[in-house]
Amino acid sequence: MVVFYAAKLGNDEREWEDAAAGFLGDPHTGRNPRFAVADGATEGFGSARWAHQLAAGFVGLGRVDQPGNGAGPAGRADAPALRPEELRGWLAGAQARWHGDPRMAEAGDLARLKAARVGSFATVLGCELTGLAGPEPHWEAVALGDTVLFHVRGHQLLTWFPRIEAEDFGVNPEGVSTKPERLASAVSRLSTDRGSLEVGDRLYLASDALAQWMVRADRRDPGSLWDALAGQVHPAEFRMLAERRRTGEMTNDDVTLLRVELAAAAPSELVVCL
Amino acid sequence: MSEGTYRRPVSRSDPGCIVVLLDRSDSMKAPWSGTGSSLAVGAALALNNILLDLCITATTEVNEQVRHYFDIGVFGYGAKVIDPGEGVESAFGGALAGRGIVALPDLANHPLAVRDEPSVDQMAVSVKMPIWVEPVHGWSTPMCQAIEVAGDHVYKWAANHPNSFPPIVINITDGMVTDSPHGGASLQQWVERLTSVRTSDGPTLFFNVFLSPVRAQEILFPATPSGLPEPGPTLFGMSSELPRPMVENARADGIEVRPGARGLAFNVGRSTLLRVLQIGTRVPDRPF
Repeated sequence: MVVFYAAKLGNDEREWEDAAAGFLGDPHTGRNPRFAVADGATEGFGSARWAHQLAAGFVGLGRVDQPGNGAGPAGRADAPALRPEELRGWLAGAQARWHGDPRMAEAGDLARLKAARVGSFATVLGCELTGLAGPEPHWEAVALGDTVLFHVRGHQLLTWFPRIEAEDFGVNPEGVSTKPERLASAVSRLSTDRGSLEVGDRLYLASDALAQWMVRADRRDPGSLWDALAGQVHPAEFRMLAERRRTGEMTNDDVTLLRVELAAAAPSELVVCL
Repeated sequence: MSEGTYRRPVSRSDPGCIVVLLDRSDSMKAPWSGTGSSLAVGAALALNNILLDLCITATTEVNEQVRHYFDIGVFGYGAKVIDPGEGVESAFGGALAGRGIVALPDLANHPLAVRDEPSVDQMAVSVKMPIWVEPVHGWSTPMCQAIEVAGDHVYKWAANHPNSFPPIVINITDGMVTDSPHGGASLQQWVERLTSVRTSDGPTLFFNVFLSPVRAQEILFPATPSGLPEPGPTLFGMSSELPRPMVENARADGIEVRPGARGLAFNVGRSTLLRVLQIGTRVPDRPF
């Protein structure tokens, strides 16, 4: 698994408001690999925190405060099962933690107003790989909004989820709000999908601007697109790809790409780019 | 169709510009039907709320500076406070008194006062509301001078921001112009000069909001001047066509907007004023 990202042109890198998280699985506990990308809304408040909370929470890396102590020692949350009731419970907990964030104690009037009036909002896509040791490995995904999973075999795009056409990105995307009164509606609009996996398959999770560009590029020249994305090994290469935002070929927004490759054996090397 | 594209997103590298011209003539002391206060008080309340909206939009995280998405000017015409008499002056008070167009973070940091004012949208949050503009009324309605002052400021602003979304100038008034012609030019000619100022994204937008102290039929964003009582046709003629972002804002707010609709709100009551200002000042933060 590898993650690439770039902040919206004109913004500082620390203002990147997407989030990506991955958990590679644990054979000892039976926990499956999980991956997630979330895209915090620019117009929201604390959107980077909210997106991070959703992505990390989905893969089971979220923090859970001790009961009765909002700022106390933290534990690790369980990843929610991909069923509506479990997802509802997980999202309700995420909302409660967002509102109880101890940082709000330092907030000024404008920040408190924004948090109360607008809150935050993020699109989210999470996927789990199951049955990897068995005869029918597959991915299962849940999504709300226009963060997209692409399933690629060789140079062929098998499917993408949610199946949004290039023209339909960015038009009032759905997402998860921090407002509790919008939770039921969000849960009811979550969509799910699944697909069969083979060794060598790649999954790409991309936030909206990049996903839109990928849908277009796949129509034009799929071979070049998937070659280029499979070959991305360094953040500098991704930043060059993201330069397309300067010419308008890609919408100027935060962009994030999480790539997963299914290998027959665990990789022998871990590369960290600092 | 207007000749601009109005597609440029607002960002810190290319901020937008909003100028409000606020009628402070004597007639603004009239009671605003059903509100218990005057037109001047109601207009100042709505204006303070829209300035707060802009500050809130640009507030993104705890302990972070309000983002510089806009430069803002508010000019009162009619009664002046700083230099008493009739004319045009910045309506900002306190640390911003006398300043023309100010950056949004400056505005956020320097309200005239912070009070327990009611929010127009009745949100249930116990926070104090910043005030930037006080209600004032007196003298007549030197609208030409106001447009001249606005034009001077947006001309300089556009020269410094050639690739930004074009300036938005919103005129809030309850009466007839009293200084046309001014400097040898009619009101219409002053408006033509103002809207000749442009960025690469299009000409300056000039919107008009006509307040009515008595209950009357509100007409929002008409596509034709026919049927408008005076001074409706005049205001229609000098109002810019609504560009696509504002058309979408209006439709999202449930207002029917026909092709060719102008940025004119006529006989507006107090509850509608804030909605109209929100529609006219919301600019996309990403391209269409």
